[in-house]
Amino acid sequence: MLRFLLRRLIVAVAVALTVSVITFVLSHVAVDPALAVAPDSATDADIAAIRERYGFDRPLPVQYLDYLGDIVTLDLGQSYLTGEPVAAMIAERVPTTALLAFLSILFALALAIPLGVLAAVFPNTVIDRVCLMLAVVGQAIPNFWAGLLLIIVFGVQLKWLPISGSDSLAHFVMPTIALGTFAMPALMRLTRAGMLDVLASDYIRTARAMGLASPAILFRWGLSNALLPVISLTAVQFGFMLGGSIIIESVFAIHGVGYLAWQSFSRSDMPVIQAIVLLVSLAYIVLTLLADLINAWMDPRIRSAA
Amino acid sequence: MKVHASIALAALLLGTAAPALAGPDDNSLTIGLGEELPGFDGYTSTSRDGVVMTRHLYDMLIWRNPANFEYEPLLATSWKRVDDKTWEFALRQGVTFHDGSPFSAEDVVATLTYWSNADNGARSQSSVSWIDKVEAVDDMTVRIVSKEPFPAALEFVAGSLPIYPSDYFEEVGAEEFNKKPVGTGPYKLDSASGGTTTLARNEAYFESPKAPSIDKLIIRTIPDDATRIAELLGGGIEWTWNVPADQVAQIGSVPGRTAVLGSTMRIAFIGLDAAGRTGEGNPLTNVKVRQAINHAIDKKTIVENLVGGDGEVIDVPCYPMQLGCDVSAAVVYDYDPEKAKALLAEAGFGDGLQVSMTSYRDRARAEAVQAYLAAVGITANLEMLQARASFSGWREGKTEVWYGDWGSFSIADASASLGNFFDGSSNDGFRDEEVMALVAEASTSVDEAVRKENYAKAIQMITEKAYMVPMHTVTMGYAFDSELKFTPNVDELPRFFLASW
Repeated sequence: MLRFLLRRLIVAVAVALTVSVITFVLSHVAVDPALAVAPDSATDADIAAIRERYGFDRPLPVQYLDYLGDIVTLDLGQSYLTGEPVAAMIAERVPTTALLAFLSILFALALAIPLGVLAAVFPNTVIDRVCLMLAVVGQAIPNFWAGLLLIIVFGVQLKWLPISGSDSLAHFVMPTIALGTFAMPALMRLTRAGMLDVLASDYIRTARAMGLASPAILFRWGLSNALLPVISLTAVQFGFMLGGSIIIESVFAIHGVGYLAWQSFSRSDMPVIQAIVLLVSLAYIVLTLLADLINAWMDPRIRSAA
Repeated sequence: MKVHASIALAALLLGTAAPALAGPDDNSLTIGLGEELPGFDGYTSTSRDGVVMTRHLYDMLIWRNPANFEYEPLLATSWKRVDDKTWEFALRQGVTFHDGSPFSAEDVVATLTYWSNADNGARSQSSVSWIDKVEAVDDMTVRIVSKEPFPAALEFVAGSLPIYPSDYFEEVGAEEFNKKPVGTGPYKLDSASGGTTTLARNEAYFESPKAPSIDKLIIRTIPDDATRIAELLGGGIEWTWNVPADQVAQIGSVPGRTAVLGSTMRIAFIGLDAAGRTGEGNPLTNVKVRQAINHAIDKKTIVENLVGGDGEVIDVPCYPMQLGCDVSAAVVYDYDPEKAKALLAEAGFGDGLQVSMTSYRDRARAEAVQAYLAAVGITANLEMLQARASFSGWREGKTEVWYGDWGSFSIADASASLGNFFDGSSNDGFRDEEVMALVAEASTSVDEAVRKENYAKAIQMITEKAYMVPMHTVTMGYAFDSELKFTPNVDELPRFFLASW
């Protein structure tokens, strides 16, 4: 188990380094950082002064090594635009994004698991088809569009919910639905497939033959085994929520990391972009690692294989 | 139905969406902006939204009355020119900053001395780099001395140089000041968190033309255009801008909401690579080709159909209200595609030609230009880019035809338009030595007659040689609660201290 963990950690560091190189190079090649910092109407003198002040006139490898040195000492740098430390900017926004991602994944699971089970218990019936159709619709609707639709209906027309902002829990209802709906279909399909597999397996047949009650078979023996792959996917989807929140947070003006990312992209605030990309990729790595550990804990076969 | 029910339940549990008191009820104004305010320092702020807030938190020494464009007293009660390089300002007595400290010459000297030092990182160096030194004559009199004779000095004093309290600024430093600003302005910062900033009326504000009527400004950042408009319709905000032109009519038809397209000082023009920066043998180096392009585009139709509102056709490479922007000096090219074709044939391009073109602000307008060019045989390969990328493409001489625009830093002097594009810098894609000399002299002469004459000559030469196609003024879409008394200004700087319910 320890070796398994160690190997994963080495991979994580390698991935993080690769990501840092790619984002650094791309962000310096795609746009002249001095132009990005300068106001739209900046003159040549303004741009030259900025280039010198921020050290953009140095060779790229030197700038990268400098950046890497800072990262190693846990200094994520300062925003070009606000001058604030990037670490503080992100830390301030993480709770909001984490709350949104958590609520969304909860919403997605709350729909996906019952629907998945239902579809598997009644395969190839109307119920199954309705569930699958819901999944297709959920997957097909872009989440920003779903967001706008929710805003028009529940915010503008019915005035039931606040349209944008993140001041209260009520503000999270629409974004949670918009983000969660997109994550739901994959989880539902996997639950359904897992349940179908499990329900067709020998031990369930045995349990049935022993005369165990249906709900017990379904939930105690069936679902607990069918959920193993769902856990892995949930972790991946949770990572996706962090990425997906870029759109949803800007649609609903939620002051989280996604919104910060969007704002930083649109203003080419490189230190912030680099830090967010790095952190999101790290989050993915940690989440998948966590999923593997949970799976290993739940399934002895995985443990022994590791 | 399930979703409906759960949301209804959630709404009941979590309370209703609408705030208890808003707008006229508690004399507050909720403003929806697209970009988060990067800070409250007027010297490092890059966004226009930030510049707007600067004017609410701070005062400059003088101000330009938006109603008549005259300079009027603000923190200074009078001013006079001492010599070609020196302006002297008599300061107002009895003004206090938001922290209660008194305003005096020391604050002016400290603020302007600090920011005119390039090492301190003012984002727009051109606003401050002209300052050589600032000195106090006595406690309530200051002199600003420029490095060279600088005719546009008062423009910057009135528009870009907010005055900070010297003691507080020195105590907290620039970074902290950016977060916790203190000025003498009509509003002071009340709170700023989570994308919402609240400004409260400065109760101790001096007798000023900027004295506000509205008690509280609540500024919310809502990046998505559609969401911002939805908030306006739903009553979550009461004022917004940057509303797309095609939405203005729709919003205006909603009861209780007003939407207007106000004219701005920003001018749109098409820069033509006359200097041949994109490479040898560029057809745009031929004056006949450039004149043909000027004749080929029907500006009037573009303005009527795609700019809308108060947008106007222009024939000069500057904003007509700017000092020195002599409209009568310009050679006017009427829309005449046949003449355009004839000119192209004379230039040896009877079979047509290809050019690269970039733009950023409005695809429909750029495509209209592309179509007009195609009609006379010019294939323009249009690339829509982000503003900065498009502008830098022009600066670096990578694009032959650039449909750009320029807001002149909201400065009503031709030095901010002609002086920016015909000065031999990288903005200057024309490199006409004679024009450059005229503009350079006009930018540094303090004799208004000389300046006007030079700019008029320059305008004549620029239009005669058809270096660019002056297109139109740009409009800005505003939408607000119909009860709000708000007037848009051409300098794209909304003044909420002049608004009222």
